[in-house]
Amino acid sequence: MEAPYFELRNVSKYFARVVANKDISFSIGHGEVVALLGENGAGKSTVMKILYGLYKADEGQIFMEGKEQKINSPKDAMALGISMIQQHFSLVPAHTVTENIILGNVHGKIDYEACKKTVKNLAQQYGFDIPVDAKVSDLAVGVQQKVEILKALYLDAKLLIMDEPTAVLTPQESEKLMEFVKNYTKKGNSVIFITHKLKEVMEVADRIVVMRNGILCGNLNSKETNEIELARKMIGKDIVPAERKKEDTKQEKEVKLKVNRILVQKKGELPILHDISFDIKAGEIFGIAGVSGNGQDELCEVISGARKVTEGEILLNDEDITKLSIQERIEKGMGYVPVDRHRDAMIMNMTLSENMMLKTSFNKKWKKHGLIDKTKLDAYTKKAIEDYMIKAPGPDAEAKGLSGGNQQKVILAREVDNGKELLILNQPTRGLDLGAINNIHTAVLEERNKGKSVLLVSTELTEIFDLCDRIAVIYKGGFMGIYNHDELTTGKIGLLMAGYVREGEV
Amino acid sequence: MNAKIRDMIVTNFLAIAAGLILSGLMLLLLKINPIPVFKEALTTIITDKYTLGDVFLKATPLIFTALSFAFAFKANLFNIGAQGQFYMGSIVAIAVSLQLQGKVPTIVLLMIVFALTMVAGGLIGAFIGFLKAHYNANEFLVSMMSTYVVLALMNYLLRTFLKESKGEYPQTDALTRDAWIPNLLDGTRLHVGFIVAILVAIGVWILLYKTPLGYRIRAVGSNASAAEMSGIPSKKIYIITFFISGALAGMAGFTEVNGVQHMLIQDFNSGIGSAGLGIAILANANPIGIIFASILFGALNVIGNLMGRMPGVNVPASIVDLMQGFVMIFVIVSYFFRSYLENRREKLKLQKKAVGE
Repeated sequence: MEAPYFELRNVSKYFARVVANKDISFSIGHGEVVALLGENGAGKSTVMKILYGLYKADEGQIFMEGKEQKINSPKDAMALGISMIQQHFSLVPAHTVTENIILGNVHGKIDYEACKKTVKNLAQQYGFDIPVDAKVSDLAVGVQQKVEILKALYLDAKLLIMDEPTAVLTPQESEKLMEFVKNYTKKGNSVIFITHKLKEVMEVADRIVVMRNGILCGNLNSKETNEIELARKMIGKDIVPAERKKEDTKQEKEVKLKVNRILVQKKGELPILHDISFDIKAGEIFGIAGVSGNGQDELCEVISGARKVTEGEILLNDEDITKLSIQERIEKGMGYVPVDRHRDAMIMNMTLSENMMLKTSFNKKWKKHGLIDKTKLDAYTKKAIEDYMIKAPGPDAEAKGLSGGNQQKVILAREVDNGKELLILNQPTRGLDLGAINNIHTAVLEERNKGKSVLLVSTELTEIFDLCDRIAVIYKGGFMGIYNHDELTTGKIGLLMAGYVREGEV
Repeated sequence: MNAKIRDMIVTNFLAIAAGLILSGLMLLLLKINPIPVFKEALTTIITDKYTLGDVFLKATPLIFTALSFAFAFKANLFNIGAQGQFYMGSIVAIAVSLQLQGKVPTIVLLMIVFALTMVAGGLIGAFIGFLKAHYNANEFLVSMMSTYVVLALMNYLLRTFLKESKGEYPQTDALTRDAWIPNLLDGTRLHVGFIVAILVAIGVWILLYKTPLGYRIRAVGSNASAAEMSGIPSKKIYIITFFISGALAGMAGFTEVNGVQHMLIQDFNSGIGSAGLGIAILANANPIGIIFASILFGALNVIGNLMGRMPGVNVPASIVDLMQGFVMIFVIVSYFFRSYLENRREKLKLQKKAVGE
C-alpha cells in the first residue's frame, strides 16, 4: 500500500490545565479533502497548528510519505509544502495584494512587474478575480481570503489547511470557495478543512475526521455517513432544536425600543452607520443579519451607549435615551451581550460572583454597611449557575477556568437579569458548540415569551431564521430592508447580505 | 498542605537564604569571614530590644510606599513616584507641625498632620492620574519625573521658608515633643506609626477586595475595555486610584517626620520609594503580604547597619544595598520558578489522568 501524503501518529498536546489533544492519529492522501469536524474547543485548531509547526507536540510523530518529519516552525512546514490559512488573516492591510503575496520570499531589489505578472497568472489559473495593485485594506473580506490562498499557492503549497474559512463569507462566496477547493484538489493537492458546520462538510469533504474533547472519535468516508450521525459523534448526544412558539402577530403590542434615523460618521470619512430606523415591540425578537463588519457591532454600541451618534435619536419606552451614559442605560433595564466577550464583557481573572456584578457595581443592592454583600451576591450567582446549567465549581471559581460556552452562559444570565426591558445580543452563540447554542436559544426564546424585547445580531442565518420575528439585513452601515420572518429565503437574504437590492427593483 | 502555599513558603525562604549566602560570599572577596559577622548581627537583632524595635521602625515607611505602588498596580497603573509623594507629605508634615506645635493638643495636631499629608501626597497622585486620564500621558514617566520636581521644591524650601532658625544648614528646626508621634515601646525608637501602617494595610485590603469601589478599581485594572463597556468610567477610576496611591505614600511623610526624624533634612530617606516598589512586587501586590515583606526589608536594613558598625571588622556600609538587591533578585526569580512549578504540576496531573483512563 502506498504511504499517505501526511500522517499523524498518536499526537498529544497538553496545555497547563487542559488536554488539548490526546492520541490523535489520521492521515491524508494526495488529492484528498479531509474535513476536521468538531465543536469549538475540541482541539481541531491545536492539532493543525502542530502540523503547521506553530505548536510542538508533547507526544507523537508526523510522517510525510512514510518518512518521519520534525516540524519545528511554520518555515519547516512550508518547506514540506504545508500552508495554513488562519482564522484571522495574516495580511498587511496597508500593503498591496502583490506586496502581501511576495512578503518574506523576495530578496534584494524587487522586480515588481515580474512579481505582479506571476501573481496575476496564478490568480487566473484558479479563476480568482483579484486586483493585484489594490491595497488589502480596501478589499472585502472574501477577497482578502483569496489573497491569503494565493499567498499559499505562491509558495507552491501542496497541502492547504484552512481554519474555519467560511465563517466570514456570504453563502455565495462560500460556494466559490468550495469550487476552488474542488479545482485545487483535482491537481493532486490536498486540503484540510477545519470546521464545525456540518453542511459544508457533507458538500466538499472526501473524508471526515471528527474530534471531541481533544480525542479523535470518528474517521468516516463522507459517502458512508450523514449529517445526523456526524452531529451525534461531534456532540456525543442527540440535539433537540429549540422550539419557537408561534404567536399571533396581529395583536399589537407596545413599542419598547425606537431607533430613529441614526447616523454615525467620523469627519471626512464614509458613515459607519447611516439612516437606520427601526422599532422593537414587547415580546419580539428583532434580528439583524449581515456579513460581519457591516456596522452591526457599532449599532449595538450605539444602542448600549458605548458609542455616540452623530445624528438621530434612540427612545426606550418613549423616553429619549440618546444622551444617557452606559450606566444610566443599564439602570433603565438594558442588557447587552457584546460580540467579543473576552474583551468587553468578562474579567477573566475575577470570580464568577465578581463577574455577575460587573454591570451593577453602582447598584445599592450589593452593598451592606459600605461593603459588598458577598452572601447575597454568591446566592445570586449560585442561582444563575443552576438556572442556566453552567458547568462551574461554584461562585468563587475564576471565569477563565470555564469553557467558552459556560462563560457565555454567565454573561447571558447577567444580561438577561439586567435587561429587564431590552436585551441586545451580538452574536451570542459565536464560537459555541451545538449543545450550548441550544441552551442559549431556549433561554432567549423564553425571555421573548415573557415579553422582553430582544435585538439579535447574527451572521448565522439558521440562528436568524430560527429565532427572529422580524429581520433586517445590514450592508455597509445601512439597512437593505426589514422583513417579516416568513418573507425571506436563504437565497434572497444571501443576495441582500452581499448588497444586491431586492429582486423586482433590479 | 496546599502545594501552592508550600511552594510559596519554601521558595521565598530559599530565595532569602540564597540572597544572604551570596552577600556573604561577597564579604569573602573582601577577606572578611561572613559567618561570625552574620552570627553577631542576628544575635544582636534577636537579643537587643532597641535593635529589634528598629526593624519595625524601618519597616513602617516601606509599608506605605509599597502599598502606594501596589494600589496603583491593581488598576494596572504604575506609580513610580512614591518617593516624590512621600517628600510632599514630609514637607506638609514639618510645615504644619512647626506652625501648630504647642498651640493645639498633640493628638489633634497629629490627626491634622496625618490628614494633610494624605491630601498632599494624594494631590500629586491625582494630578498624575488626571494627565493619564485626559491626555493619555504615560503615567510611568510622569510619576517618575514628578519625584524630581518635588525634590527640587523641597530643596528650595529647605533653603528659604523652612530653613532652620540658626540658618546654618539646609534643614528645618527640630519639632518639640508636642508634635512627636508617641512611642510604642519603652527603650526603643518604635512609635505608634507602625500600628497605623498595619491598620492602613488592612484598610487597603478591605477597600480593594470588599468594597464596590475597590472592585471597580480591580475591574479597570484587569480589563479596562470590559469595565468601560459595563459603565465603569475608567478615567475617573484612574484619578481616584492615583489619588489614593499618592495619599498612601504621603502618609509615610507623617510617620517619618513626626515619628522618627522630628525634622526635615536634605536627602531624607532617599531610597524608600524604590524599595517600596520592590517590596510590592515581592508581596505580589498583596497588602497583607506587604506588611511581612516590609518587615523583612526592615530587618535586612538593620542587619546591614549593624554589620557596618561592627568593631574589628571593616564591612562597608553599602553591603546593605547589596544584600537587599540580591534578596530581591532571588525573590523575583522564585516567583517565575513557582509559576513554572505550578504549570508542570498541572500538566503532570493531566497526563496521569489521561493514562489512568
